[in-house]
Amino acid sequence: MSSDDPIDLRQDRREWLKTSAAALGASLLSGPAVTGEQPQAAPATKPAASSGQSKPTGPFFTPAQHTLVEELSETIIPADGHSGGAKAAKVADYIDQFLRETYDDNQKALWREGLRLVDLMSRHYRQKSFVDSGPEERIAVLQVLSDNDHMTDLPEVRFFIELKRLTARGYYTSKIGIHDELNYKGNRILEEYVGCDDQGSTS
Amino acid sequence: MTEPETDLTKTYDAVIIGSGAAGGMAAHVLTSHGLQVLLLEAGKKLPIEQELRSMEWPYDNAHRGSLPPESHSLTFNEYTIRKPPYGAGLENAQHLRSYVGNSDYLKNIVVDERENPYTGTNYAWVRARCLGGKTNIWGRLALRLSDYDFKAKSRDGFGEDWPISYSDIEPYYDKVDLYLGIMGVKENLPHLPDSIFQRPQKLNCAEVTLKQSLQKMGRVLTQYRAGVTSEGLKHNKYRSRCYGRGACERKGGCDIHAAFDSPTGLIYPAMDSANLSLRTNAVVREVTIDPQTGKASGVRFIDSQTMKDYTVRAKIVVLAASTLESARLLLLSKSRLHPNGLANSSGHVGHNFCEHIMGPGVTGRAKDLVGKPATLDDGRPGGFYLARFRNLSEKHPKFIRGYGFEGGSGCRMFPSGADVHGFGASFKEEVRKNQGAYISMGAFGEVLARYENFVDLDPVVKDKWGIPALRFHYNFGDNGHRMAEDMKETAQEMFEAAGFEMVHVRNRVLTEGWSIHELGTARMGNDPKTSVLNQFQQSHDVKNLFVVDGSAFVNASCQNPTWTIMALCWRSCDFLADEFRKGNL
Repeated sequence: MSSDDPIDLRQDRREWLKTSAAALGASLLSGPAVTGEQPQAAPATKPAASSGQSKPTGPFFTPAQHTLVEELSETIIPADGHSGGAKAAKVADYIDQFLRETYDDNQKALWREGLRLVDLMSRHYRQKSFVDSGPEERIAVLQVLSDNDHMTDLPEVRFFIELKRLTARGYYTSKIGIHDELNYKGNRILEEYVGCDDQGSTS
Repeated sequence: MTEPETDLTKTYDAVIIGSGAAGGMAAHVLTSHGLQVLLLEAGKKLPIEQELRSMEWPYDNAHRGSLPPESHSLTFNEYTIRKPPYGAGLENAQHLRSYVGNSDYLKNIVVDERENPYTGTNYAWVRARCLGGKTNIWGRLALRLSDYDFKAKSRDGFGEDWPISYSDIEPYYDKVDLYLGIMGVKENLPHLPDSIFQRPQKLNCAEVTLKQSLQKMGRVLTQYRAGVTSEGLKHNKYRSRCYGRGACERKGGCDIHAAFDSPTGLIYPAMDSANLSLRTNAVVREVTIDPQTGKASGVRFIDSQTMKDYTVRAKIVVLAASTLESARLLLLSKSRLHPNGLANSSGHVGHNFCEHIMGPGVTGRAKDLVGKPATLDDGRPGGFYLARFRNLSEKHPKFIRGYGFEGGSGCRMFPSGADVHGFGASFKEEVRKNQGAYISMGAFGEVLARYENFVDLDPVVKDKWGIPALRFHYNFGDNGHRMAEDMKETAQEMFEAAGFEMVHVRNRVLTEGWSIHELGTARMGNDPKTSVLNQFQQSHDVKNLFVVDGSAFVNASCQNPTWTIMALCWRSCDFLADEFRKGNL
């Protein structure tokens, strides 16, 4: 399929869901597959990002899932000439901590299923895993979900919405997002608010 | 400030229930008149500066400032689809908070909904049980009411007039302004009287564009009238002046107390008089009655930590527990002499419940500001207030009463456009370039005080302390919904007239309760048959019982109530102290 063709997500997903069994068997990923399986109770190799609370569990994502989330979030908010992107802002760590701590099992399940489905989509459209795809190919996959973001009955669409929400949340609350990207001026003592020169006074 | 041990063996001159705006003001006024006062607060005394941490960067916070994800704060959809007490499907969440509670800085300030259930019709009830109550986190918009509100019935025939006029309360608004500090600009509007303002903040350029456009329509946009001291208060050592530190709109409060809160503004100074004792974790369950005289003799409370029951005696009981909690307490205080609940011979306790309807509003973009370098716009306590313009000189064909808008514009710490469609490099650039160009506003309108809107006690459900829960029978009514339609239309018209590109028109009406301006459940009036309190918030039935919070309001007006609650309370407590001295109570 050419990337210029309009894509019918509903029509198409029947196809790639059919191929999913084969794709799972032929996973291109080394290490733990990006699947719906529960991750191994891996020993916590990195501490929870600046968390004051010590949680007993290890990371939510497997190493492969973590890499995938890094690349997905970077596709949502990429590095550009202006500032670093989601990867540099460690958005994947933020999302991992959020999912590790959330009470919401549906949210956890959505992320596991969403990561699996997005990777399958990539294999279907691009014949490559998402991580092995180039920037343009990655954009093409997420573009399908973004263009169809009203189809919230589909888990991959709900996943995309959550991916974007948490990526924006993590990025714009990071040092890179606040200072480098937005050049935020506040949160410091300000003797006099500048405002507008003309206050529109009637008198 | 010293905190004297509370002595439960002595009889206090007055016991005050609740430490928010009303309870703090009652403590201030009564102790300044020399009364020996005990103040009871149901919640904890929190290390509030450590809770609020107003200048903490999100990336230095374990949850980027949000509620820790092991807990849940209720959403609009949950309030809409589900029914109180709203726990279904959320059993796994460690704590359940109201919609306001989605912040790491508020998680210990607002109550756990599971410990404090309520039933009945949908209602987003926001409660803060801690010293100072909701004043720790309030929106700070400090407006006066006028005779357009106090005498609204005389103007349009609906409801009741207040038993006071603006001239009765004006000197007390002045006292509140001077004692607590308020920023703003004089506008000489008869329907939105000016305060005695400290140095105002400025408007930014998009706000000035809107202001000038509105002038042509005869409508007035003014600087946010914030209950914040910009010049400092020489008489108060617990509060700093505002340093415009920014991020004021972050959910949370002001940890240098430039914004008014009841503990630093009222309670700590009152404790310095040595006339005030404070007991926190005191959940009052009943006002006790002397069976000989029929008068209030004190209160019964449970220590929330030890679950032990206590009784304390006082010559005067002052309820200031909030509109809904004070009504609940009156209904709980049933006795042989007061079978329908205390102070309820009229049957009006819990009724005439009213508030503000909100939700409709607009977000626009000032095109000339797109792509401009970032500016510091959140270093001020608020943006603007657009004063009521409906049903002043002309009569609207579809509804009575009015509404005003709160709004603001400019850069903020978390960008306004982070939810725009799309992703990738273009999304990132769009968020950056537009960040200072957004302007938005939302309306607050008067919900009519109707007898059929009421709360009573649930016959089955009880809170964590075994106290019967409140049950709601409440809706906005047709007038409210017709007004909301008009809010949406006028908001759009005004933004279009100002030349803003329309980004978002919000049509939906938010859940009942969302404004956190609940009022009117023990209204004042001259006729004991149709009102609970007289013009000094004194019970018609029980002379030594006063209810000094928002429950005394006769209507909701469309202005934010906190400043009026405090002015009214000051006036009533002056009267109370005078009557007490004369031996009339």
